[in-house]
Amino acid sequence: MSTLAEAEAPPPLAPAPAVPTAKPPRKRGRWTPYLLLAPGLVWLLVFFAMPMVYQASTSVQTGSLEDGYRVTWHFATYWDALSEYYPQFLRSVLYAGSATVLCLLLGYPLAYLIAFRAGRWRNLILILVIAPFFTSFLIRTLAWKTILSDGGPVVGALDSLHVLDVTSWLGLTAGDRVLATPLAVVCGLTYNFLPFMILPLYTSLERIDGRLHEAAGDLYAKPFTTFRKVTFPLSMPGVVSGTLLTFIPASGDYVNAELLGSTNTAMIGNVIQSQFLRILDYPTAAALSFILMAAILVMVTVYIRKSGTEDLV
Amino acid sequence: MTSKKSTENGSGDVRLSGIGKTYGSFTAVHPLDLTVPEGSFFALLGASGCGKTTTLRMIAGLEEPSCGTVSLGDQDVTNLPPYKRPVNTVFQSYALFPHLDIFENVAFGLRRRGIKGVKKQVEEMLELVQLGEQARKKPHQLSGGQQQRVAVARALINHPKVLLLDEPLGALDLKLRRQMQLELKRIQTEVGITFIHVTHDQEEAMTMADTVAVMNAGRVEQLGSPADLYENPHTTFVANFLGTSNLIEAEVDSVSGEEIVLKAGDVKLVLPEARCGAPTRTGGKILVGVRPEKITLTHADDAGEIPAGRNRITGTVAATSFIGVSTQYVIDSSVCPEFEVYVQNIDRDTRLVPGAEVVLHWNPAHTFGLDAAQSLLAGTAGSAGVEEEAAV
Repeated sequence: MSTLAEAEAPPPLAPAPAVPTAKPPRKRGRWTPYLLLAPGLVWLLVFFAMPMVYQASTSVQTGSLEDGYRVTWHFATYWDALSEYYPQFLRSVLYAGSATVLCLLLGYPLAYLIAFRAGRWRNLILILVIAPFFTSFLIRTLAWKTILSDGGPVVGALDSLHVLDVTSWLGLTAGDRVLATPLAVVCGLTYNFLPFMILPLYTSLERIDGRLHEAAGDLYAKPFTTFRKVTFPLSMPGVVSGTLLTFIPASGDYVNAELLGSTNTAMIGNVIQSQFLRILDYPTAAALSFILMAAILVMVTVYIRKSGTEDLV
Repeated sequence: MTSKKSTENGSGDVRLSGIGKTYGSFTAVHPLDLTVPEGSFFALLGASGCGKTTTLRMIAGLEEPSCGTVSLGDQDVTNLPPYKRPVNTVFQSYALFPHLDIFENVAFGLRRRGIKGVKKQVEEMLELVQLGEQARKKPHQLSGGQQQRVAVARALINHPKVLLLDEPLGALDLKLRRQMQLELKRIQTEVGITFIHVTHDQEEAMTMADTVAVMNAGRVEQLGSPADLYENPHTTFVANFLGTSNLIEAEVDSVSGEEIVLKAGDVKLVLPEARCGAPTRTGGKILVGVRPEKITLTHADDAGEIPAGRNRITGTVAATSFIGVSTQYVIDSSVCPEFEVYVQNIDRDTRLVPGAEVVLHWNPAHTFGLDAAQSLLAGTAGSAGVEEEAAV
């Protein structure tokens, strides 16, 4: 913006003795970009940067509730937290990863259908995808508690089809219960984050020019080959953003594990929540939060590098 | 409807029999018969919405015909999906795969058919379209003309029996379009594959094709060589859509031997019987046509010098426009309000300015006759269905 203004300024002609050169002429709109940035920057500073700094300092404090906490640069908290709660970390990654894969498997066909086959039903289906957001996250998860309740129709059906025998053997369910098992938590996560997968997938599928499908067919690609060689590669930006939008919040989630799981299915979010609100061990809670953040950052970076999105159009 | 007899030995002819397409109550293509001889450059010419692209897509298998059959040589391909037809298409907007580089775009068809060692073939094809250097670029890094050549290479490398071109030059600027017209013609002569070219640009169709089928409202109006269509249009649509025609409504005065004498107001015109496509009976109406460049313009003062036996009409110059090689005159006359005349700029008569009295005259052999039951304006720029740069 300012370079543009400079470029437009006339080249200096004869020296102007009256005006000292130290005083540049006032450039219109020079501050506009900063003014536009200001509200967002202030918001982020107050509600993101400051809490981060505060949490970072909390994580290296020692002390007790009664005597108060002081910064002692006690980095051992990180190591202690990690060595004590690594099972919950692994479980979080596992559950969030499973839910992400399930979301992709469930969401891709639906997004494909909406983008290419839905015709005049397209908007209606999109509204149905978003509709669950009209109700609270908590209420919806509680509803799953009813759906998966012991002796309920879902569990009954799964039991009579002997599905529960298989899942019990795999360790996903326990006996004739679905509630309070890993399966219930993964189901809840999948359900709650499915729209975050479908919408980006739909957006990137919808952008694909239908004539590319025709061109692939014209060039001897069977329908499935067309999907494999043309549609899927072109939808990669949607796959990447969909999986990120699903995996990141799912790995930090604690509501599903809290309501649908048991102590054996606790995720890292549950640990952080109880450290903060029940045990009141703030340094450990803060350290766990930072470890989670760092872990997600590393995983996401590796993932984006691997999927090579920068090469995609 | 005109249909062309198939060349008896042509084992690779494209044969459309009674092929038609309807969408609900709208008929995009009326059942038509068409044979495109093997190795020819065939153009389907028409305004947007005339059914030419639908016809092309039915040959490619991208559109299912409502009736009729498509055969390639002896093979009936009507029910084959596109990927099983030995036909390739150059799409209007090229439809290059944006995630693949130029090499992989061109290799796509070969790879799908499981051909190994495509490198040499692809490189040769890229050389043919002069894109050897660009093999590792992505489509969006190329100019429009280069993308167009990739699209041609991608289709041609498969050695299809027929290459279908759907307005392939529509997105190029005029100069590049001219260049690509010659280029495509060269490639077609070189590879000897049947080309079926869809276009709304009559000049493009005439420059490139051996045979042109003029389509209008889902029907083939006329089929023939470019010169034949231009000199002997059978309908007012063809007369107006290909170049410009001056059409005069006239009454048959007498028929004598090979000549028909007509009367339009107080003007007498002669038309060779062989060039009249309408039934002639004394007192009946006929549309008389003549192309603007066949007419000579003489100032009224020199009217005595006009040789006898020519068709002549008097009028006044309404407007002139100088366009370099020729000057275009619009003449007001009693029989036709806006008579167009193109005069080569050899010896310009400076007296021919707006308002000047003139005599138009031409050799009767250049006159053609059309059925007067049609609209005079069919196929002109203003009439429905004819738009410059048709939308998709």
